[in-house]
Amino acid sequence: MIDIGSLALALGLVLAAYAVVMSLVGALRRRRDLVASAEHAAYAVWGLTVIAVAYLLQLLVTHDFNVEYVAAYSSSTLPLNYTITALWGGQQGSLLFWLLILTSITSVVLLQNRERNRDLMPYVTAVLMIVSVFFLLMLNFITPPFQRLAFTPAEGRDLNPLLQNYWMQIHPPSLYLGYVGCAVPFAFAMAALITGKLGDVWIRTTRRWTLFAWFFLTLGNLFGAEWAYLVLGWGGYWAWDPVENAAFMPWLTCTALLHSVMIQEKKNMLKVWNMVLVILTFLLTIFGTFLTRSGVISSVHSFTQSGLGPFFIGFLALMSALSIGLLVWRLPLLKSENELDSLISRESTFLFNNLVLVGIAFAVFWGTVFPVISEAVRGVKITVGPPFFNKVNAPLGLILLFLTGVGPLIAWRRAGWKSIQRNLLPPLAVGFVSGVVMVGAGMRSYWALIAFPTGIFVLTGIVMEYYRGVRARQAVVGENPLRALFRLIAKNRRRYGGYIIHVGVVMAFFAITGTSIFKQEKQITVSVGQSFPMGSYTLRYEGIEQQSTPHIDYLRAKVAVLENGKQVDLLKPEKRFYKKPQQPTTEVAIRSTLGADLYTVLGSFDQDTKLATLQVYINPLVSFLWYGGLVMALGTAIVIWPGGVKSREPAYAPRRAGERVVAD
Amino acid sequence: MRSRPSLAVFFLIGLLAGGAWVSLTGAIKPSFQELEESLTCQCGCGLTVHSCNHLQCGSAIPLRAEIREQMDLGKSKTQILAYFANKYGEKILSSPTTSGFNLTAWVMPFALVSLGGIFVVLTLIRWSSRRPARPPSEGGAPLPHEPSPYEKILERELKDFED
Repeated sequence: MIDIGSLALALGLVLAAYAVVMSLVGALRRRRDLVASAEHAAYAVWGLTVIAVAYLLQLLVTHDFNVEYVAAYSSSTLPLNYTITALWGGQQGSLLFWLLILTSITSVVLLQNRERNRDLMPYVTAVLMIVSVFFLLMLNFITPPFQRLAFTPAEGRDLNPLLQNYWMQIHPPSLYLGYVGCAVPFAFAMAALITGKLGDVWIRTTRRWTLFAWFFLTLGNLFGAEWAYLVLGWGGYWAWDPVENAAFMPWLTCTALLHSVMIQEKKNMLKVWNMVLVILTFLLTIFGTFLTRSGVISSVHSFTQSGLGPFFIGFLALMSALSIGLLVWRLPLLKSENELDSLISRESTFLFNNLVLVGIAFAVFWGTVFPVISEAVRGVKITVGPPFFNKVNAPLGLILLFLTGVGPLIAWRRAGWKSIQRNLLPPLAVGFVSGVVMVGAGMRSYWALIAFPTGIFVLTGIVMEYYRGVRARQAVVGENPLRALFRLIAKNRRRYGGYIIHVGVVMAFFAITGTSIFKQEKQITVSVGQSFPMGSYTLRYEGIEQQSTPHIDYLRAKVAVLENGKQVDLLKPEKRFYKKPQQPTTEVAIRSTLGADLYTVLGSFDQDTKLATLQVYINPLVSFLWYGGLVMALGTAIVIWPGGVKSREPAYAPRRAGERVVAD
Repeated sequence: MRSRPSLAVFFLIGLLAGGAWVSLTGAIKPSFQELEESLTCQCGCGLTVHSCNHLQCGSAIPLRAEIREQMDLGKSKTQILAYFANKYGEKILSSPTTSGFNLTAWVMPFALVSLGGIFVVLTLIRWSSRRPARPPSEGGAPLPHEPSPYEKILERELKDFED
């Protein structure tokens, strides 16, 4: 007998296909009733997906081990929170969860545009529903989530212990929201190409969605890094693993898009390039899913591999062909009157920023797929690991950091040498002086001596921009500095929120530089009471404590942290032994300060000799990455916050006499 | 005046690409950690020998011992890495070699960015040179012009609408 979940998915597939066909027929025949019917079908697909998800959750929570998915990814002793997050712990569940987010976002887009963009909406619905059809095909025919076993096991095999972590509860949803969010600008872009309405309406309509996608891609990447830092226990947070790269690439192209789209809004330029970026970002999200799901490139993060690879490649090829075909067809309409007032302008810096961002995305893509290419061309398996990515991306990243500082200080349209000198020289001087101070303080690393002063240059530029804005408000409106700062941000959220995001980016660069260059590490075998120095600390091993629960056995080392002879912390790095999958994991213990993390790992414990082997790291500035992420999130929230934005006059509209040009 | 930014860009890209290239050649005597980072642990952790934190690791521990042996023989980094590649296959190296087909792995990203840089500079020069040739936007009657594709669409749609 067919269960309610499978029935919902089967009906969902039929209705999603119906929505695609009716949207297109309705648009071509100008039949509003058909378009409305298609939209209602899209809402119904969302409702059916909710039913399927709710049913799978019910099966998980009630431990129905007769269902293959439940038996494979949960157990009776798995805590409730992880039982719920087991929804995306396996292949089928994560595809279903993806579909839930996609159909939810589709419904929101339809609601938002009930009265707007009616000429575009049938095609937007069709594109989003095509993606839904693909996922529903997978869920109905390739990896059905409600498959039942011929027998009912007494116990489930449990969720992979590496996924039983707080950050894994929020990392996949964030990433999926980012991935799926990228589908919205893509759908509008396709609709614009099909209808030939290639003005800036689709760009303005999807700006918030692009920011939404970027926001969640940023958080998703950071949450993933935090998870790797806490769970994998190797002292780092980013290993250029293919799955990490898969999430990083669309973030890069989406970042490029957020910048270049401003030029289209202000000057009606770069229409083709923006289309390319929208398409590329969407295709990279599908490529990322393909990498994670297919197992074509080995990855420690591929928890759920299967034979889905060919289907994803097929879908990727189809969407590439459709989108590139449409783009080529509409090229004559996309040609814009590209002209610049000056070679030196913010437009120019944005083009270089786009070049570098896309260059880094290409470098990451190239390094990720190169093992496959090498095997195909030479028949030789090779590895492209962290040293490659670090060496290739470090110089590009530093150019990007430099451009992050230059861009906001160069005016739109035309920047004269005098204004460049006035805006750029003070931050450059501060950056240079900071470099000299660092050399004087004994810093000798070539990369650090470029990265830190460049970051300080960027920060100085941002502070200068805020200072000028506040001073201007004080002079004109007579506000006190705090109110002036608040009003300054509120009046131009996009500009000043963007600066806050840049501060977060600089903080991330500081963290990456600090942990890459100044990391210290030590592996030591100690007996109870033995002390050893680590950085400015002295660590004393205090012994082992053990604990057993029905789900996990714990082995916990107690490590006293002393500073200047006084105990300041007691760290308890763990070894966990998960009983169902019979798998050990490492749980690190960290003393985190703004300057550095003291990161401890219990490597092993010898029951006979009572000796413990500890691995200890000092990771300088790593907290800047997490705080930088928060700052980026804050900046994005300011930019994306609805309301209060006046309808913007194009920056280059003819001005009335006496008006000043205001840089944005 | 116009050549200043383009020269600066070429200089910057050349400098950074050159810097990266020098760091790739490994002409300096290697440290133990450098060699550890040049080799991939074969235990499946996906990390370098240096980063693998499996203390009982059946791959990283013997490989570390082997690195020390090779260093004691006074070999250069290139010789040591060649030894490991011969013994275990190229997949043990954490980065592609810098010869033959593998060279494309290193060159392509910089080549793409450099070519892109040249394209961007040329495009910017072309776009900025268009400006002076145009008539001033203020005042005067609009010049007669060919209808743009947008205008053609607008015209067609208006016609459809009227029909």
